Amino acid sequence: MNRGAWLPIVGAFGFFVLVWKAVVVVGGLPPFILPPPETVAERFITAWADGTVWPHFVTTMVEIVLGFVVGAGLALVVGYGLARSALFERIASPYLVAAQAIPILVLAPLLVLWFGPGLASKVVICSLIVFFPVAIATMVGIRSVDARLLELGRSLRATHRQVLATLEIPAALPSIFGGMRVGVTLAVVGAVVGEWAGASKGLAVLINLARGSLFDIPLMFATLLTIALVGVALYLAVVALERRLVGAR
Amino acid sequence: MNSTAVGRGGIQLCDLSFAFRSRTGEPLPVLDRVDLEIPGGGIIALIGPNGCGKSTLLRVIAGLLVPANGEALLDEVPIVGPDPRIGLVFQEPRLLPWRSAADNITYPLELAGWPVERRAERLATLTELVGLDPAVTGARPSELSGGTRQRVALARALALEPEVLLLDEPFSALDALTRERFDFELLRLWERSAATIVMVTHSIPEGILVADRVVVLSPRPGRVVADIVVEVPRPRSIADLDEAAVSRTAREIRAHLGDTDIGETVPAELAS
Repeated sequence: MNRGAWLPIVGAFGFFVLVWKAVVVVGGLPPFILPPPETVAERFITAWADGTVWPHFVTTMVEIVLGFVVGAGLALVVGYGLARSALFERIASPYLVAAQAIPILVLAPLLVLWFGPGLASKVVICSLIVFFPVAIATMVGIRSVDARLLELGRSLRATHRQVLATLEIPAALPSIFGGMRVGVTLAVVGAVVGEWAGASKGLAVLINLARGSLFDIPLMFATLLTIALVGVALYLAVVALERRLVGAR
Repeated sequence: MNSTAVGRGGIQLCDLSFAFRSRTGEPLPVLDRVDLEIPGGGIIALIGPNGCGKSTLLRVIAGLLVPANGEALLDEVPIVGPDPRIGLVFQEPRLLPWRSAADNITYPLELAGWPVERRAERLATLTELVGLDPAVTGARPSELSGGTRQRVALARALALEPEVLLLDEPFSALDALTRERFDFELLRLWERSAATIVMVTHSIPEGILVADRVVVLSPRPGRVVADIVVEVPRPRSIADLDEAAVSRTAREIRAHLGDTDIGETVPAELAS
């Protein structure tokens, strides 16, 4: 991006910080209700510098990345099956929709009970929450393949594998990435909810510590900021990968 | 291109019928007992009203549709499915939008398992053959003009050196002048390749310009109502279009198309 394109983004962020500061000053809010931005910024830097955040950050990142890879990977396979087999779709889709309709918040304590308070339960929760949008996007994408291109493939005697690799996947890729953009931000939510339900380490655990035993509200906000930045960074990573693989058409 | 032996690429259609299944499950006849013999290396134009089954006939020859009755033979062997000896050009270029022009042209070679170096060699021959500017082969289809896209599609159809080239109104989306130029280029290409060409068109002048014979089909279900030899010597040029033979042939084709009530719904008695 050139300098002109960055200007509105930086401007909007500056405006956000200004409004935040104005709310604190005008409302006369004490720091344990809403700390001013400069206090949060300072705490953010010190918490990262003294190693308070780092172990929790690593734990959460591992949960998110593993959960996303497992959930999205399964979703690609199932989504393809849904697109290609009407019978499979009819049998499987009620369960998929039902699983999606149950809030992950309700499911999380149960999954922690089953899989323990460690990494496994978080990976399961993340994959569950990532699965649905990616599976649906894959199904829609595979179905969107131009029937005329499939006829071309047939006239050239393409095998099933060749049709998949050269026609279906490239045609479905933009749609799949749409699902992954949604999925990766949900993976962050999944990790936080999972840690909330029971964990000894992770950014959500740090938030709980900060507002509870430590009573360090600026640290809580600094951790919130970290979670938000993780979401933005992962989203941008997916967008970058999409640019690389899909490119201009 | 390689020179195929005389007679190779000959097509015979014997008592060929085809029906689509309508939504209510009743068969909807599209082709009705078509008999046609196309000698190897010849050019045939198929002409007829909209919906008469011209494209269906082409798809049967291409092995994409299985006839309900009768058979299509290539080199005296029944066509049972898509065949590398047959190249197909559709009405629209039908390119893979995420691939460059070059990768679209070599797509059939890739599917057939050719190694990369051989594909590159063949690509150079093909671009030269269809008159494609090598500078544009790196571009995506969306960046190319309609004519260039159809050139790419033609090169792709020729990639595996087919004996037979089937063209389904290939230049109908182009403007009249470009179309005429493409028709002549197709003729140059045909002279060099010795391929059999079957071209669906609904332009009488195009049919006369290109073909040895113009085959007129009736409205659906399509039957052969006339098989008219175009007596214009080759190589043909744009000046030939004013010849008396041309207007006589055109009049004859039109008379047969008139028989078929072009553009009208099909009277039932015509089919019998």
